[in-house]
This record gives sequence, structure tokens and C-alpha cells, in this order.
Amino acid sequence: MRIGPPILAVGLVCAGLFTLFVPTWNLPTQGTQTGPNGPSLVQYAPTGSPLFQTRNGPPPANPPLIEDTRPATEAYKNVTVLTDLNAGEFMRLQQAITNWVAPQQGCDFCHAGGDFASDAKPTKAAARDMLKMVRHLNADWTEHVGGAGVTCWSCHRGQPVPAEIWFSRPPHPQGAHMDKPENWNESGDSVRQFFPNAGYELYLLQDTPGLAQSYTALPNGQVADQVVVKRLYEVMMQMSAGMGVNCTYCHNSRAFYDWGQSLPARWTGYSGIQMVRDINRNVLLPLAVRMPQIRETADDPHTIVLPDRMRGPQEGNGFVLCATCHYGLPKPADHAQELLTVFPGLKGPGREHAASATDQGGQP
Amino acid sequence: MPQFHTLWTHIELRGPDEAGPPLQIGSPGRIGKPFHSQWLGRIGEMQVLPTHLGPTGVASLLCGFIAIEIIGLNMLASVDWNPVRFIRLLPFLSLDPPPAKYGLNPFPPLREGGWWLMAGFFLTAAILLWWVKMYRRARALGMGTHIPWCFASAIWLYLVLGFIRPIAMGSWSEAVPFGVIPHLNWTATFSVRYGNIFYNPFHMLSISFLYGSTMLFAMHAGTILAVTPLGGERETHQITDRGTAAERAALFWRWTMGFNSNYESIHRWLYWFATLVTLTGGIGILATGTLVDNWYLWGVKNGLAPQYRPAPDLPAAPPAQALKTMQDKVLGR
Repeated sequence: MRIGPPILAVGLVCAGLFTLFVPTWNLPTQGTQTGPNGPSLVQYAPTGSPLFQTRNGPPPANPPLIEDTRPATEAYKNVTVLTDLNAGEFMRLQQAITNWVAPQQGCDFCHAGGDFASDAKPTKAAARDMLKMVRHLNADWTEHVGGAGVTCWSCHRGQPVPAEIWFSRPPHPQGAHMDKPENWNESGDSVRQFFPNAGYELYLLQDTPGLAQSYTALPNGQVADQVVVKRLYEVMMQMSAGMGVNCTYCHNSRAFYDWGQSLPARWTGYSGIQMVRDINRNVLLPLAVRMPQIRETADDPHTIVLPDRMRGPQEGNGFVLCATCHYGLPKPADHAQELLTVFPGLKGPGREHAASATDQGGQP
Repeated sequence: MPQFHTLWTHIELRGPDEAGPPLQIGSPGRIGKPFHSQWLGRIGEMQVLPTHLGPTGVASLLCGFIAIEIIGLNMLASVDWNPVRFIRLLPFLSLDPPPAKYGLNPFPPLREGGWWLMAGFFLTAAILLWWVKMYRRARALGMGTHIPWCFASAIWLYLVLGFIRPIAMGSWSEAVPFGVIPHLNWTATFSVRYGNIFYNPFHMLSISFLYGSTMLFAMHAGTILAVTPLGGERETHQITDRGTAAERAALFWRWTMGFNSNYESIHRWLYWFATLVTLTGGIGILATGTLVDNWYLWGVKNGLAPQYRPAPDLPAAPPAQALKTMQDKVLGR
């Protein structure tokens, strides 16, 4: 008897069973059509990358509110940011911030040994900047955060340094004949997460125009730079991977540039890019000045600040991108809307108010 | 019958070593001691070697080695000479062309595209020398030169991408980087940057010839294997002396689609379909950015791309005031 055919048959059956039962099939795929018939504008439920899913747990329980209606500025010394809270709300928010950002390190992460008014630790100054930033984002960036808003938990998720950040490229060593090393993401569970982030500096920090496509069919003298446009592609892929969506969540891929053929989500996404740039340019770049100090204290057991990748040869500064808040979902699972009703101190008065207050202050 | 469905060849000829025709006076000797392999015989000829390199072949291999060496060492340098990181990140490493500021400068700094130009020069030299070698071998064997010309069509696309189009656009930065994922990213970017290259008619032709080639190859190979028991593998013999294999194969296609090629024409179809993939593709790439800036808009202008109804309540562009407010926040105004 020939043994080839039976072996082949058994092999085929095994391969069939493997294909059926080993991968996690998620069928039938549920799609929602979001545009006209033809351009394939369909959204699928984001499955989220396993790497991100581990970050999307519920926030820690809110600390209890202790009634104390004195203004925080009277009850505590050296209060400069949360001046609009009463002492009870102030303490509750301080405890919540500890839970969100430094649950293992505790109050000592920012405050110098029992003297809460002291500004000795560089992390305290950084925390103040972060608090100002959150209040600014919730008041001034409603284009992006809408009614939901953001909190410390949105990015930190229980870690002193958010898990998803990128680093600026260290300066090139003088006289080298080979190209400088790129900043690689060296782990991830999809190809897109490995893309180099050289373009993030161009688009998420500097002021590089994002216009790549021509508005005319024939050449008009405007030439986009292919290398720079490739960086833009990597930035957009970072957005897509960080939010767990495809290009067609915002764009009609037949004409990426055309707002008229895009989906309303593109405006939210565009304002998100601008918000990231605001954070990187106006908050994190100034914060970089304090980073050497924070690094020096990083080996103190109470201030384990920096993940391994921020030590060693990586001398760049950490900046944010879409995944810093989104963690693989189009709407971050950060419970910010509920948290903001509990912690009113996280929403500031806004730029307009600040500007008019300064004007009035200047008058006699 | 089942043996004609398997991947393996079933007739393996083992004989004395075949040395090839006697060497002409002044030609370099052939390389390698011939041997027979039963396993290689399963997929091709049993005899392996000798081969011919000749001066062009040696020069081509040397240039190719230099090019790969430049690319590899640059990639290794970009991971700080760490072999483990090199292997792990190999698909993502790249050697990029010079940035746009250097234009067509043939001598940009080494670390900013100088190595890329050098690698490109040696790779191009290797490919062109290999073409010369192929052409000369075809002539030496008294064959037609179809294969070198087919190869030349692929070289045309390669030269358009890395040499002719960058010169037409006035900058080396237009060329393709070396690297696995980087060159794919380049391709995706190139398509999007010029308003979706799927609307480029030469791209359409190229794709049609590509898919057409695979379909024709499947039809042809299937037909020949199907009539092999009837003597059909003697294809070219049956061009002029039709046997029952050719008759049956012709009838099969006439009865399934009304028309059939014959034992001569099918090879011309295949040759031109394959050659035209890169010939039309190269024209399409060369026209992109030089003659047409946005293929989607070009398609709309020429009635190629349909207009869809604009989504209701959606403005054609974001309000200028909203954009300015946002920009003010970012720039701290």
C-alpha cells in the first residue's frame, strides 16, 4: 500500500483543524459604513493591540472627600496652581494624583520628607507643570478632548512616566562618516510599531507643513520633499497604530488631502495633532531643562522615575504622541469624563480668562 | 496520471558529465567541477556546474559585493555595530538617499547620502555588467537575445526609480532608499504624495500585465502538463508538426473560450506580457511628479475618477478662524 496519500490526508486534516481552532477568530466581522458606497469607508471595532490592552484597566478608587471649606491657599502653604479649590478638594486631588502617577512611590515622589511646602525636589516642579497642562488642555483644547477631557490617569496609568512616549534624536557625533543611529522602537506587536520616529520631531515638535499632495492635477512649481513626506507617512501610521484605526477612520483614501471627502473625525484628529504639538513645544520642551536633575535623583529608591530605556545611551527627552493617551483605542478608556466631575481642579479657567485677568490686573 | 500533478519532475537523466561546446581561443575557462544531484534533479537538471563567469561576470559580482557591503555596513553602523540589534532590526534598517538640500550634487557628505550614491553606483554597475554578460552568453550560444531584452525592461524600471526620475526632478532625494520596510514606506508615500497612484493609467497597465502574466503562465503551464502524456512537452516541435497533444490543447481552449492561442503565439504573449510589466511601470513612474502632480485630480479631470456626493453638513475645508485659533495655541501667541 502506498503511504503518501494517507499521510497527505492526515496532514491536511491537521492543518485544517489548526487553522480553525488555534487562531482567535472574531467572526463575523462587524463593519459600519461611514461614507458613500464605493470608497470603502468602513470602520471595524478596534481589537486593540495586546501591548496596549494591558494598560486599559479601570482607574484606582477615588480617595474620600473630607469636608474642609477653607480655601486651599489658606489651609496649605506654597499653593500656586490649584488656587481655586477648597482644602478638602485640594487634599482629595493630591491623593488621587499619587494613585494615578506614583502609587508605589507615594507622596515622597514629589514632596521632600514631610515638608509638603518645600520645593526641593525637581519632580515637584515637573508635577506643577503637568497640572497646569491638564488644566489648560481641559479648558482650551475642547476641539480635541471635547466634553470628556483628560486627567493624569489618561496618560500615566499608574506609572511615573507614561508607557508610550518617544525621544528626540541625540545630536550627531562630530566627524562621523556613517549616518547617525535612528531612534527605533525595538518592541511591538505590529510592523507599524517598529517604524523609526525621526519624523515625530518634524511634525510633533517642529513646525513642518503637513501638506504633501498637490491641489492641481499638473505640476505647479510646488515640490514636496519625498524624504520629508515619508516621515509624514510614519507619523500618520503612528496615529493609526496608537488609536487602533485605519486611514479611513478620518480620510477618504482616494484623496487624502480633500477635507470635503473626509469624515468629521478628521477635524478631531487634526486638532489632536495640534494639541500634541502644543504639549511637546510648550510643556515638555521646557520640562527637558529639568530632566538632568530628575535623572540624577532617579536612583534614589523613593524616586524610581525613569524606565530603563530613558537611561544609558538614550539621552534624548521624552515627548508625547497619540498612543500616550489613546493606548490603541479611538476613544481612550481613561474614564476621564467621570473623573472630571469628581475633581473640578483638573479644569482651569482657560487662556481667554487668563489673558483678560492679566489685562485687568494691569489697570489701577 | 497523478505524477503529472506533482511538483517534482519524474524523469531524471543520469549520464556522463556534459562539458559544453569546446572553448573558443582566448575565452576564459569554465568554473567548477561538474557533479550530479538526485535532489536537484527533482526540480531541474541533475548536472550542476560548470558555469561561466567571464570578465563581465567577475566585474559584476565584485561591484555587487561592494554595493551590498556599503549598505550592510551602514546599517550595522546605524545600530552602533551591535550584531544582535542588527539581526533583530534588519527589516527596518535603511540607507537613505541625500536630503533634498543637496539636489543633484554628486558628492554630498558621506553620512548624508554619500554612501547611498556610492552603493547605488556600484549596484547599477553590477546590474548593467550582468546584462552585458547575459547578452554575450546568448550570442555565444547562437540564441536570440530575448532574455537580455526582457531583463533590460526590468533594468529600465530600476533606472527610472533611482536615476532617471531623480535627475528629471532635480534631486537625489526623490530616489528609493535601501532597506526592506523603508522601501515599502517609500512606495506607500510615493503613491499618496502624488494623489493616489492607482489613478495613473500606466500603473494600471503595469498591474494588468503583471496579473495577466501570472494568469497566462498558469494557463500555459497547466495546458502543457495536461497534454504531456500525449507528447505535449515537445512544445516547439509541435509548432510546425502538430501532434494530437497540440490538437487537443487547442480544442480545449476553443471549446472553453471560443478562441485559442497556438504553440508559437502563447510564448509571444507571455514574453510581451512579462516585458511590458516593467516597461509601462517605468513610464508611469517617470510621468509622476514631472508631467502629473496629482493622479487623483488628473483622473477627475479626465473622467476617470467618479465624483461622489459630498457628505451632508460637512464643510469643504475647516474654517480659517478655527485653524488660526489652534495655531495660536501651539505657537503660544
